[in-house]
Amino acid sequence: MKIALFSDIHANLQAFEEMLADLDSRPIDAVYCLGDLVGYNVWPNEIISEMQRRKVPCIAGNHDVKVNGLITTATSLKEPGKKYAYHLIDEPGRKYLSTLPAHIKLEYKIDGQRLNIMLAHGSTRSIDEYVLIDTNEAYVLELMEEANADVLCVGHSHKPYHRVIIDGKGNKKHIINTGSVGKPKDGNPKGCYVLLTIEPSVSQGSEDIVAVEFIRFDYNIEKAAKAIEDSPLPIEFADMLRQAK
Amino acid sequence: MKIALFSDIHANLPALEAFFKDVETRNTDAICCLGDLVGYNIWPNEVIDEIRRRGIPTIAGNYDWGIGRSSDDCGCAYKTDDEKAMGKVSISYTNQIVRDEQRAYLRTLPAHIRLEYQLNHDKRNILFVHGSPRKVNEYLFEDRDEKSMIRIMEQADADIMCFGHTHQPYHCILNSGTEGNDHFRHAINIGSVGKPKDKDPRGGYVILTINPDSTVTVKDSITVEFIRFEYDIEKAAKAVEDSPLPNEYADMLRNA
Repeated sequence: MKIALFSDIHANLQAFEEMLADLDSRPIDAVYCLGDLVGYNVWPNEIISEMQRRKVPCIAGNHDVKVNGLITTATSLKEPGKKYAYHLIDEPGRKYLSTLPAHIKLEYKIDGQRLNIMLAHGSTRSIDEYVLIDTNEAYVLELMEEANADVLCVGHSHKPYHRVIIDGKGNKKHIINTGSVGKPKDGNPKGCYVLLTIEPSVSQGSEDIVAVEFIRFDYNIEKAAKAIEDSPLPIEFADMLRQAK
Repeated sequence: MKIALFSDIHANLPALEAFFKDVETRNTDAICCLGDLVGYNIWPNEVIDEIRRRGIPTIAGNYDWGIGRSSDDCGCAYKTDDEKAMGKVSISYTNQIVRDEQRAYLRTLPAHIRLEYQLNHDKRNILFVHGSPRKVNEYLFEDRDEKSMIRIMEQADADIMCFGHTHQPYHCILNSGTEGNDHFRHAINIGSVGKPKDKDPRGGYVILTINPDSTVTVKDSITVEFIRFEYDIEKAAKAVEDSPLPNEYADMLRNA
């Protein structure tokens, strides 16, 4: 079973469309989104509509919950600044974002063993906590034990990685960061998403039950950067796309 | 958030196609399949392919579990010797026609999918299972004792539990809290797309709507809609009759 995981689109329609085209060209059995559809660019509504059309299951990111209680007036749409990205979101879009779940958990039973894959935006404790490649091992194990997770998939940092930690019982715990579709920060300006393969069986723990592939794809970065420059959004956001900072 | 939930297609491609046509008109935000893609009809591979092609999150039903492992046991609770004999024909026929790639897909389906909500400073878990959280082939009928249902849901940490397996749709609201401290739980059987057993031969599925103000203390803060749709029952029944499958399975489609 091949599962595609993506996150942190951040209203970048150019990147999102290229990701979908790449995804559609591969045999993928299920697709999940780990949040942050909006913020930093001008196409939140187009992205939400396409997510709804494709019925992609999605969890809430820290930018998605910014619409809760947000009041938009004619002047707030003209004010320069980063809040423009949220004021831009239409009513149906706000309604969609405000009812996204915090986590999705896939509970497997493979060869009599339980395997829980937990999808969260930041961490399982907090929507805006960073779980990074060098986050303290003991702390990550504690998070995963608390969430009863064997595989933890997160986004939020825009820096993709796959790390394996062996817990106290000798079990392999996988932590996967999906990177970012529309605002990478790992020095590589190409968009990023993850393909997770679930193996149908595991022989005595010798083989990995999940295989992880990071897909990088080109998109029209200039077009996405220009859209920022032509909007009330902070101009620095455009260079962040060009430099993947 | 509107989620379409469907299950128990049982290799009935005409019913699945009619379901997709219907659900496309209803603007749901997500869609999830609660298992039993195969068995009892001639299109197990085609049903699997259609669901995979759309990338629909799917959990394993008891029949999928059996076929995924090339087992001759689907975990079905057949009562009479006749039912058992017919069931044997169905599972061996299904094992014969399901291809390797499709079997591998069935074998790697998750057992449950859980959505953890944190709206309005309130935690609320929606759990999708095929039969029950304890067992893929446990039947949770509408007449199950309330206390037993609450216990099952508490043990699985589920506030809203959606399941299939019985092919008989219902929605039951339970209060596991104490007076003045309500904790409403919802048990929802989503019916069957391709083999209804509630005397209505049309296909059935559910649309679950989570409202933004949804909390466990409000009884009706979710909406459950039972949708029924017409499909070409004769085509599905004829396919059974023209196959090595027992003809009784054709009449079950006609008579639900």
